[in-house]
Amino acid sequence: MTRYIIRRVLLLIPVLLGVSVVTFAMLRLIPGDPAQVMMGEHATAEALAESRERMGLDQPIAVQYLRYMRDLVRLDLGRSIMTNRPVTEEIAQRFPATLELTLGAMAFATLFGVAAGIIAAYKHNSIFDVVSMFAALIGVSIPIFWLGLMLAYLFGFKLHWLPPSGRLTVGIELLPIVEVWGLEANPAEAGVGRAVRSLLDFLSGFYLLDALLTGNWKALGDVIKHLILPSVALGSIPMAIIARMTRSSLLDVLGEDYVRTARAKGLRERAVLSGHALRNALLPIVTVIGLQLGFLLGGAILTETIFSWPGLGRLVVNRILARDYPAVQGSIIVIAATFVLVNLIVDVSYAYLDPRIRYE
Amino acid sequence: MEDSRSRRQRSQGQTRPYRSSLFLDAVRRLSRDKLALAGLAIMGAFALTAILAPVLAPYDPIEQSLVDRREPPSSQNPLGLDDLGRDILSRVIFGARKSLQVGVLSVTMAIVVGTWIGATSGYLGGWVDSLVMRIMDIMLAFPALLLAIAIVTILGPGLLNMLYAIGIVSIPVYARVARASVLGVKVQDYVLAARSLGASPVRILVRHVMPNCLTPLIVQGTVGIGTAILDAAGLSFLGLGAQPPTPEWGAMLGQGRYAMFTAPHIVLFPGLAIVLTVLGFNLLGDGLRDALDPRLRL
Repeated sequence: MTRYIIRRVLLLIPVLLGVSVVTFAMLRLIPGDPAQVMMGEHATAEALAESRERMGLDQPIAVQYLRYMRDLVRLDLGRSIMTNRPVTEEIAQRFPATLELTLGAMAFATLFGVAAGIIAAYKHNSIFDVVSMFAALIGVSIPIFWLGLMLAYLFGFKLHWLPPSGRLTVGIELLPIVEVWGLEANPAEAGVGRAVRSLLDFLSGFYLLDALLTGNWKALGDVIKHLILPSVALGSIPMAIIARMTRSSLLDVLGEDYVRTARAKGLRERAVLSGHALRNALLPIVTVIGLQLGFLLGGAILTETIFSWPGLGRLVVNRILARDYPAVQGSIIVIAATFVLVNLIVDVSYAYLDPRIRYE
Repeated sequence: MEDSRSRRQRSQGQTRPYRSSLFLDAVRRLSRDKLALAGLAIMGAFALTAILAPVLAPYDPIEQSLVDRREPPSSQNPLGLDDLGRDILSRVIFGARKSLQVGVLSVTMAIVVGTWIGATSGYLGGWVDSLVMRIMDIMLAFPALLLAIAIVTILGPGLLNMLYAIGIVSIPVYARVARASVLGVKVQDYVLAARSLGASPVRILVRHVMPNCLTPLIVQGTVGIGTAILDAAGLSFLGLGAQPPTPEWGAMLGQGRYAMFTAPHIVLFPGLAIVLTVLGFNLLGDGLRDALDPRLRL
């Protein structure tokens, strides 16, 4: 297993290098002078020359790439044109919101998708099977942003059941963990202590975690309420796909001899399902769930725009329109790297579930 | 799922295989699949709407009537008027053109380029294959929508650039499908036979290998058009695709969403049009997969 993981991690290196080349090329492929692109149309000649030198545009392209890689390794993604803040800082502030939304959508999709798939397989050809599978078919055909708009209109605006936008109701107090625990970052501190605090700071971006760990139940309820509509909108397509895959995979397995044997020896249906059928049906389901994570990271861009969710996706969209290319570039790198990492985790769990894969 | 003729032949103990071709067989299977037929009907209606848009649309899709803005559906404007007083029905009808264009053209582009890349790389094997597939891996390391956004950022917003972006993003999928099929086909005896007769690699690839790899590409392509329409709508929604006043479904949703709370019909109908069209392609794609999957053929 360890050898397999090491091999997989090594295989990541060329892919990540490729990703870095693509994002590096991105700024330079935009028609026009990158310095001009970075500084905007109204930059003065001195500012342009200065920025050209700072960006190393007077150097050969290979040197430029190496510098870019050096900065990337130091987590230095440059400064935003719009806010003049370090891009890394802006991303770190927004990334937890995106992750929270993605995980919420994943939880929704997995829970309901697997459940619907199991029932549909068990009640094969019943009304439930037909209806849920048709619903799944419609589910994969719905544009998430439209579903989001409809949900926000119906449950947020008409029925007033759930908040139609944002992460937290204005007026509800939710202090980050670092503040409650008195662990604010100290600029003078360096090394491990600072790293730990930065990590805590990052974790403080997860409102669910903040509310849960500080025992702020009122805020917790509010955070969950805000999370529901965007998660449902974002999770609808993955849910439909997971439901279809669970059903077909389980149907295959339920026809196997070992399931018949398990039933013949008098096992309770619950034991047959959990011990024999689901275990073997799990592999394709896990694959599909993993594949959907990439979709979720992409779809978050649309969902965040609709629900005014202050995440990375909304950052990308706003900054593209504002031509804030360093911020766009940085966000794209972070999302792609996360996607690659998630795929690694999926592959490893796949190998864990099916030992045959490790020996290939 | 076999037809009565073949069953009769078999029951009479005839050894002569009944006449069949992949195409005829698929048509027979497809004609018995009600959902696939429904998909085909939706697709047909969608294509006709797109082609006959100028005849079908009651009004000019970009003509504004600011006095009547946000009017709800009425007998004169069955789907109501949008934020600028334009007839939504006419805009939805003309929008079918844009969606059809983007869907079909981007997928065609992806299939042609992707198949060519995948088939060549799979047929040649060796380091070419490794290199090409690593490049495809890198493209797949980006969520599709994000990569499309990045490409549109480079090329600049617009319908045509969005079409390229969606096409480019879809290439790896077809390259992989084509490569996998080619790997399966190139070891077949008839390929060996062609090679031993002195056929050139290009001829073998085009005449013998490719026709036998078409099935998965057709299935993938059908579903792919649906996905492309969804992606296009998403990009236009974000303001990166079709630009105003072009009647495009995603752009209609993007521009109409601020008026949604007072006039929900503005976003309801373009969205329904997208759902219905994509559903049509998905239904047909599912049906085609069942109809063309050789494992199901008896």
